[in-house]
Amino acid sequence: MADSDYSIDGEDASDDEYVGPKAGSSTRAQASSGKRKAQATEIPKPRKLAWETEPSEAVANPVEAAEEIDEEVLEKSVQEREEDRKRKRLRKDTKPFQRGIIRHVVLVLDLSETMLERDMRPNRYITMIRYTQEYVREFFEQNPISQMSVLGMHDGLCIRVSELSGNPAEHIAAIQGLRFPRSLQDLPKEPKGSPSLQNALELARAMLYHTPSHGTREVIIVFGSLISLDPGDIHQTIKACVRDRIRVSIVGMSARLRICQEIVSRTNAGDESEYVIATDQELLRELLLATTTPPVIRSTEDTTTTPAESAAALMMMGFPSRVVEDVPTMCACHGNLTTGGYTCSRCSAKVCSLPVTCPSCQLTLLLSTHLARSYHHLFPLRNWVEVSWERARERGSRECVSCLSTFPEVPPEDVDDEEMQDGERLQSKMDGDAARQRRMDKEDSEEQKASESARYECRACESHFCIDCDMFCHLVLHNCPGCLSMLNPASEVQENGDVVMTG
Amino acid sequence: MNGIDGTDRQVKTDEGPPPSLLAVVLDTNPHAWAHLSSTLPLSSCIAALLIFINAHLASGNGNEVAVIASHSHRAEWLYPTPHTTSPSHRSKLNGSTSSPNGTIKIPENPNKYRPFATVEQSLLQNFSALLSSTKEAHLAATPTTLIGGALSLALSYIAKSVLRHSPVDTGIENPLSALADSESSHTARVPLTSRILIVSVSGDLANQYIPVMNSIFAAQRKRIPIDILKLAGDTVLLQQASDATGGVYMKPEQPEGLLQYLMMGFLPDATARRSLVMPSAGGVDFRAACFCHRKVVDIGFVCSVCLSIFCEPNLPDNLCLTCGSYLSLRAAQTATPALIPRKKKKKKRAGGGDSATPGGSTPAGSSTPMHL
Ligand SMILES: [Zn+2]
Ligand SMILES: [Zn+2]
Ligand SMILES: [Zn+2]
Ligand SMILES: [Zn+2]
Ligand SMILES: [Zn+2]
Ligand SMILES: [Zn+2]
Repeated sequence: MADSDYSIDGEDASDDEYVGPKAGSSTRAQASSGKRKAQATEIPKPRKLAWETEPSEAVANPVEAAEEIDEEVLEKSVQEREEDRKRKRLRKDTKPFQRGIIRHVVLVLDLSETMLERDMRPNRYITMIRYTQEYVREFFEQNPISQMSVLGMHDGLCIRVSELSGNPAEHIAAIQGLRFPRSLQDLPKEPKGSPSLQNALELARAMLYHTPSHGTREVIIVFGSLISLDPGDIHQTIKACVRDRIRVSIVGMSARLRICQEIVSRTNAGDESEYVIATDQELLRELLLATTTPPVIRSTEDTTTTPAESAAALMMMGFPSRVVEDVPTMCACHGNLTTGGYTCSRCSAKVCSLPVTCPSCQLTLLLSTHLARSYHHLFPLRNWVEVSWERARERGSRECVSCLSTFPEVPPEDVDDEEMQDGERLQSKMDGDAARQRRMDKEDSEEQKASESARYECRACESHFCIDCDMFCHLVLHNCPGCLSMLNPASEVQENGDVVMTG
Repeated sequence: MNGIDGTDRQVKTDEGPPPSLLAVVLDTNPHAWAHLSSTLPLSSCIAALLIFINAHLASGNGNEVAVIASHSHRAEWLYPTPHTTSPSHRSKLNGSTSSPNGTIKIPENPNKYRPFATVEQSLLQNFSALLSSTKEAHLAATPTTLIGGALSLALSYIAKSVLRHSPVDTGIENPLSALADSESSHTARVPLTSRILIVSVSGDLANQYIPVMNSIFAAQRKRIPIDILKLAGDTVLLQQASDATGGVYMKPEQPEGLLQYLMMGFLPDATARRSLVMPSAGGVDFRAACFCHRKVVDIGFVCSVCLSIFCEPNLPDNLCLTCGSYLSLRAAQTATPALIPRKKKKKKRAGGGDSATPGGSTPAGSSTPMHL
């Protein structure tokens, strides 16, 4: 995936995109476009994906790993390819980091005329509108106690699409309103003019300025253009963003830009992996959804110049109970007559839905389930490993533990040499506990691939699962059915094949 | 996967009501059933459950059922029967021709509808196998039951069954259908409606808080209602499960009438429920338990790093008891700046210790739900 960014970078970015940006002040982008090609050859290819934000020292030899993958790619059945593609979506790194659970995100959409390009069907603009709605829903699914705001870069200006709030419906309606305005007077915001990264960053910075220090401040930009029409010095803006500990992620289209690279690397402590390029619409969707995972909180030792990333805090929250009423009463949030609702634990005002800030006493009201929804980010389910035929034979697994669908038959012992070697290699790797541990660590950070035996093994309970259950358990359930189905007498709390948070 | 297979099945189901999959999680915690034995022995519970399952199978041609036992030391499939995983050498011979060792022999009985007999036989055999495998050490190890594991099994099974019924169900699974095929393929298929019924007898499930919560969210996302029939004990957790997923929560006064409750309260599937007034739990207690004393609080203090809930703001050395990070209460006290528009909602606000004690706004004391 990372490679494809570069192949596009060299050729596909047709130069006529750069010819004659109308105003003279787009100096930054033009200067950077000049440097762009030289850059592409100089910089080593980052073998990192969007969600892999910390370079993992466990990957001792990336070159060797790459060769292994290449070899295997050649001899792949169609089904394996399919499974491969699915497993790519698994989180690469299940190592527990401290993550910013309480997020403040400004989503910036590109509404410039480049978005009318038809390389995505029907065009980039409509594709983006569609995916961002899904994105907002998923975002609040994953981050229920977070806040979001949507901005748009339209005709040189940055317009405010929706205010900072924790209500997904509001944002989705606002994004839809771009194409289909709710009131008849408003015209739909068709893509127009050039975008301005500086204006967008400045407005986002202003919106995030007052957010509390225990939350993250993030700007996620969907950027389709290859220019930025800025009124001033964008480097000053970048500096200000760094000072305000705002981190910027950019999902680009078609080509990498020097200025974007700089913005991302400066605001992410030198880490450029948050700048990704979507070469097609499916990738755009994936890259967007990847940002729904809460970001890793960087340790502050190495960056002495920037202020502490996040000051942890104790937050006071109310856990209200639901009341049922026979007679409708007024709710404090909308002033409507409703029967039933939730009463604020401090002032007993009635609100319609949760989570919400009490309109009368400003206490944050939520359900403990809202908090629990973020637990799987803190205690992620470790990825399951591919099972070689050798291992499948050893375990004698016939069907998926959780869905009882049968696995393909284990081939008889006299398999051809190649496969034998493969099995032996794996076997020898498994020798010794230390070696095993190393292998586990390595695989934790490696790309997740398809298994030749269509089995996937949980390392904690050694149960075998099918690809569908693998996907379901890691993407939706976040439990290992195998581990939870066996009592581990040693531990009082169920273990769940999770990795233990080290803090 | 096998699209041909999926379309074939489709033709059959287009006519009638959509097929419905019922996953029953039976809490077989021996400790709890020992308490209940005077009013409702486990054997009569299983008898009632079998009648209920038969009724479910009979009410639709495509209806399916899965039964999982949530026992004290393991969660086990009762129906369908899993093929036992045989370690190492035995499985070397090609398993397709040799009969799987888990097969249940069904006695020919001309007086019984065959699907009923199949379910009954395997359920009873697997259950007695489970009971005979239970050692005293297992019972001594834990007083509770593995409801988290059983729920996870049920959810994965349902997820797979849904996939089997319509291989390209959600847009997530296939990349290209998102745009082009969305209209054509979705309307043509009748999706499998599924639900989970938990017959629960155990009390405290706090040790499985996170797994059960994860299961609840998975069910919520997949729109699988979780019904709870609570014969004994009381857990806020399961009540929240049914509330969050739109299921039915019932706590019968008289467990002896189990069959009646099952037939009246839990037989209608998701399609039928749309036209019925289902029993509702009324007020639900959503208060949280603090991590430090397991005390139920209605105002708590939450660590912004690990989201642990504490009942008071004065932690030793201001360090979080769970993750050990330094927590400043000062940061939580900063006031909202005046220039922020009214709409802006802040996820933090606190006034030091002024209202640290749970207020009198909610009924004091117990965590029992308020049934009205
Ligand atoms: Zn209201
Ligand atoms: Zn209040
Ligand atoms: Zn499976
Ligand atoms: Zn496991
Ligand atoms: Zn406490
Ligand atoms: Zn903590």
